[in-house]
Formats: sequence, C-alpha cells, structure tokens
Amino acid sequence: MINKENIPWVEKYRVRSFSDVSGQDLAIEKVKLFLRTFPKKRSIIFHGPSGIGKTSLAYAVALENDSEILELNASDLRDKKKISEIIGPASRQKSLFKKDKIILVDEVDGVSAVKDRGGLAELIVLIEKSAFPIIITANDIWQKKFNLIRKKSEVVALKEVDYKVILGVLKKICEKENCFVSNEVLTSISIKARGDIRAALNDLQILSKMDSPEMIKEIGERNKEKSIFTALQYVFKNSKIDSEMVRVFDDIDMSIDEIFLWIEENIPLEYKGEEMFRAFEALALADVYRGRIRRQRHYRFMVYEYFLLGAGVAGVKKYNRAGWTSYKKPSRILKIWLSNQRALKKKSICSKYARHCHISTKQAMKDFLLIKIILNSKLVRRDLKLNEEEIAYLDKPIIL
Amino acid sequence: MASSLDSEVWTEKYRPKKFEEMVGQEEIIKRVRSLTNSLNIPHLLFAGPAGTGKSTLALIVVKQLFGDSWRDNYLELNASDERGIDVIRQKVKDFARTRAIGNVPFKVIFLDEADALTREAQQALRRTMENYTSTCRFILSCNYSSKILDPIQSRAVIFRFQLLEKKDIKKRIDIITQNEGLTITGDAFDSLYESSEGDCRRVINLIQATASISPNLTSDLVNTLVSKAKPSDIKIVLDYALSGDFINSKEKLLEIMLKESISGQDVIKAIQKEIWNLPIDNSLKVKLTERTGEIEFRLVEGSDEFIQLESLIAGFVMAGQGTA
Repeated sequence: MINKENIPWVEKYRVRSFSDVSGQDLAIEKVKLFLRTFPKKRSIIFHGPSGIGKTSLAYAVALENDSEILELNASDLRDKKKISEIIGPASRQKSLFKKDKIILVDEVDGVSAVKDRGGLAELIVLIEKSAFPIIITANDIWQKKFNLIRKKSEVVALKEVDYKVILGVLKKICEKENCFVSNEVLTSISIKARGDIRAALNDLQILSKMDSPEMIKEIGERNKEKSIFTALQYVFKNSKIDSEMVRVFDDIDMSIDEIFLWIEENIPLEYKGEEMFRAFEALALADVYRGRIRRQRHYRFMVYEYFLLGAGVAGVKKYNRAGWTSYKKPSRILKIWLSNQRALKKKSICSKYARHCHISTKQAMKDFLLIKIILNSKLVRRDLKLNEEEIAYLDKPIIL
Repeated sequence: MASSLDSEVWTEKYRPKKFEEMVGQEEIIKRVRSLTNSLNIPHLLFAGPAGTGKSTLALIVVKQLFGDSWRDNYLELNASDERGIDVIRQKVKDFARTRAIGNVPFKVIFLDEADALTREAQQALRRTMENYTSTCRFILSCNYSSKILDPIQSRAVIFRFQLLEKKDIKKRIDIITQNEGLTITGDAFDSLYESSEGDCRRVINLIQATASISPNLTSDLVNTLVSKAKPSDIKIVLDYALSGDFINSKEKLLEIMLKESISGQDVIKAIQKEIWNLPIDNSLKVKLTERTGEIEFRLVEGSDEFIQLESLIAGFVMAGQGTA
C-alpha cells in the first residue's frame, strides 16, 4: 500500500472541481462553452507554461461532468492498436447507460513530427471521429507541426497563476496538513514560483519536512509588514528629503538587516536606469557603513547608515512618484536557505573530501565541479568512505 | 584520517612527504628545515597563494618532528570552516592539556586559512597562543598576511610563498604521469598550467580528472575538462545587464553564486576579466573597471556580497545605455 505520507502534495491536492481550480476563471468559462456546444468542435487545447494547472483543469472538467478520463500520452499516439481501442468505441454512438468519457491527450509537445511520424496524423483522425470531447494539453501550441490540430480545436491559453492565488492555495494546504509556515516564507515561495503552482507545492512540501526556526509562525507579522510597506512607499514615492524621511525607519519593528533586504528587493521595481543605479549606490554605501559599524563597533556611523538607506535611496529622483507599486518581500534569504538545504549532501561530500585532502570544506565546495569528476572513481569513493546517499547524489545531483 | 600513502586522491597520493620532495620555495624550505632539525620551532606563519605548498610544508614539519607519533601530537583546524573562536579555543585547550608524546616538548596546531578569522577571533587566538606557548606551537597559513593582526604576525616567523614556476610544476607532473602510466603532450601541459594559474593542487586535480577519461592527455582533452569544471559564464549576467534587463541579470547572478557556491570575490574577478571584451565604449570600460575595483575592495572588507554586486550590475545597465 502506498504510504499516504509519501504522496506528493501535487497529487494529493489535485483539484476535484472547477471551484478548486485556482486563478483560471476565464479558461473555465471557455471550457464550459466548449462542452455545451460539443460537437461543434470536438477538441479543446489548453496551452501555457508548465505547472499552471493544465492537466488539473482537464481532470476537473471530467469530475464536473461525471465523466471518465481516457488518457493518451505522447507515446500512445504512435501505437495504432491503442488508438483504435479508443477510436473504436469512441466513434460509435454514445451509450445511454455507460458513463461519459473525456479523452485527454496530455503534453502533445512530446510528439515529434519527424520521429513519431504518424502520431499527429492519428490525433487528427481521432479529433475528426470522436464522439467524446478531447482535451489536449501543450506548453507551446504555436509550433508549425500543430497547425492543423490548432485549426480544428478550440484554443485556450492558461495564464500564469498570480502569486496571491498561489499563496491562498499554500495557506489552505498548510491548514489541512497541520503545518505552520510563516506568512513571509509562504509569500516568498509563491513569488519565487513565478506562476508555477506545481513548483510552489513542491517547495512547500520540502520545507514542511524540515525543522527550522523559519517554520515558527511569527505573531504580529501583519503589523510589521504594514509599517515596512508604509516606509517603502514613503522612500520610493517622495523626492523631498525632510525630517520625516530621515526618521523613516525609526518606528519599524524590524532589524536593520531586514530593512536592507526590503530596500534591495524593491529598488528595481520602482527605479530604472540612472535612478536605479544611484539608488543602489546609496544602498551599497549604507552597507559599507553597516560593515564598519559591525567590525569596529563604531556606532556613530549608524547615522550615515540610516540616512543613506532612507534619504539616500529617496533622493535619487527629481519628482514625486505617482501611482501605487506592489512591493515584494525579500526573496534572497529564502533562496539562499532553500539552496543550502539542497546543498547539504554536496556539503557532506565536500567535508569528507576536505578532511582527506587538508583543505577547507569551502574550498572543496568551490572546486566541486572538478572534484565531482574525480569522485566518479569507485576507488576514490571508497577511500573517502562516502555513504549510499552521497553516492546517489553524485550519480544524480539534484538540480536547483 | 586515511593514510595518505594509499590514497586514491592524487593530491594526497602525490603530496610531498619529505623536504627534498617539495618543488619551488627553495629558501623557505631551507630555513624551515633547519628550524625543524633543531627540534624547536617558533610559531610559523605561511602566507601565499593557494596550491603553493603551505599545508604540505606544515605536514612535513610535523612528520619530521614527531616521526611515527605525529598524529598524536598534531591538530589541524581550518579557520574558514570553524569560524567560531570558541570552537577553536575549546579544541585547542583539549588538545594542549595533555603532554606531548616523545622527545619533543610541544605539540603542533596547524590553523589553515587563518585569514578567515574575524578580528575578535584573532584577538582571542593571540591570547591562546601566549597561554599555551610552552606546550603548543602554531603554524598558521593564510593567503594574505595583511589580514592577520599585527600582534599575531609579530609572534610568528613569517614565510612568504611564491607562485610555483612552470618548471617546478612540471617536475611534479612528470612524477605523476610516470607513476600512473600516462602520456602528456607539451600543449596539454601548457593548458594545464595556464588554467591553474600556478596552483599545484588544481593542476593535479585536473590531471586526475582528465586521466579518468583517457590515459593520453592532450590539450583538447584538458581544455574540455577545464571548461566542464568552469563555473557558469558570468558573461550572461553582464549581457543581461547591458541589454537593460536588471532583474534577469541579478537572478542569474544569484543562481550562479548559489548553485556553484561561488563567492562574491570570485564573481568580481570574473567580471573584471570580462569588462575589456564587452561591446561598449573604452571610456565606459575604464569607468566600470574603476567601479569594479571599489566594489572588490568593499567585498574584501566584508561588505554584503549581493548588495555590492547588485550595485555594480546597475552600473552595467547604465553602461548598456551609453552612460556611466
């Protein structure tokens, strides 16, 4: 039996109905229309970047219509027998008693026009004859080889999912899984996913399995954010340097290091070209003072640190800014943290190598690309007493 | 620790085990050797670039001093991995508490990459060196002696290691190729030497990596390996920046630094080398190089790598638009 713990959340939380589908309202409307007017067109194409819910939407369609899914993947299309098994019953009259069917052709990009000669032709035959609606999913439907299929089908573009929608999904899952992840981390995951719900779910699942201080829910989170957002608005929108600007970060309940990260993340959202350059110059200089304070305990420099961070970054523009900018939370720390988690195996390998070779683990990490080649040798692996997990990592490294 | 005699990693297998096996650094070896022979060494500070023999010499010293019981009388710590001075002090204390075994009255602690220690840690180290001076001698190694506090420098005898010359590296390579039954062309050796910038450890690593593919080392093969082991192209970061795409430029930078664990200082070295090849006005190149120097200085000082590099990249975005 499959252990429930091990089911990827991506599978566990696949959508069950249209209301579960997040962030694709327009597409849902189009699907509904397609089904109502069937068989005016017999197939509908969902296309868009990976992880935004194409296959999920197809399953939701089936569940909503109480239909069975007949899934054909790219390799089946080459298999005549399989096709005729589908086309056979599919081309006959619909039975009154049997459950309706929906044919899903998943990831049609995988069919090669040259190598799988005939695959796409089979698909066209299928589209022409089918008594059941066909759903086709693809990343890029504008390739030439899909011309005919495109003409015969309803084409629906699925959008990248907005980070707020992803955030909502993550929050719900956290509730169901009974795991506490701070709002900040969830938001960072959502933003980092860049519209890819699947990626976000995978990240969250990895995170949830780790014990770490980041997992502890911070109380008062919302208030804290509010004040940093107000401060960011003030710094980024006003050009006038007044006494308010000089004290802009005074009342924020946040460490100066965190404020640095917020400014760093948001400069490119507000400034372009020369203004961006000048703003980064001010930020970098503030950072130099931060370093001097830290190393030499020269707290007097804090005046300059705060001034550059607020007034310095604000003063690069000549006029006040209008409009509202949606400021992002700092993502760098999470990225570093996630990548460190993934690099743990690499690190344990490097530390063994380092001890063996009288160098620092850091140095070994730096030379890892070269060392990795040397570690291909079984003898070397045995010499360093690498364990199975480490060897598995070397044979198939996890890609960031 | 595995005995280096039968190591499968060539940098260990072919690490010189006696003074006379070392290449280059003749003056240093002569002096360290006579100090060692007197069975009483002062604290030593080895300064110099990577792969020039600092750790090797330290190991030879302890083996000469202690003979077969060297493992009992020797502690190796790497400052860049064990940053906390508390850890170092604790380990030093535990180690120094017991008497040395044999006829040498002290033990030896080798503190590698000592320039990675913070000022405070160095202050603490200075006290530790004094407190245990009767039972312990320190050998410190570092790339830049300027990053070692004056009081520590003044307590140690400083040896400055030079980059190995081509002929010296050739000697080591000849031993390896003979022993391992490899052939190497002259071009291949040149490629090895160039890509390793006088770092003998890197040369040997490259040889082992190349030999894992074929026993006949040609320059093509070496170059393939070198490019395979090269971190991702920093040029992509600059290309994005010059085209005005700051966001992608910074994402790529972060990716390179995280995925391949490359330090900000290495990134900036790569950027500096790349500037002159960029398709921009020469006067802009001068400006950018000037700025790169300033940022590198700040990184050496210990500023935040990402913030400093981002500000540098923002400058490249400007240069892409023809101003600076």
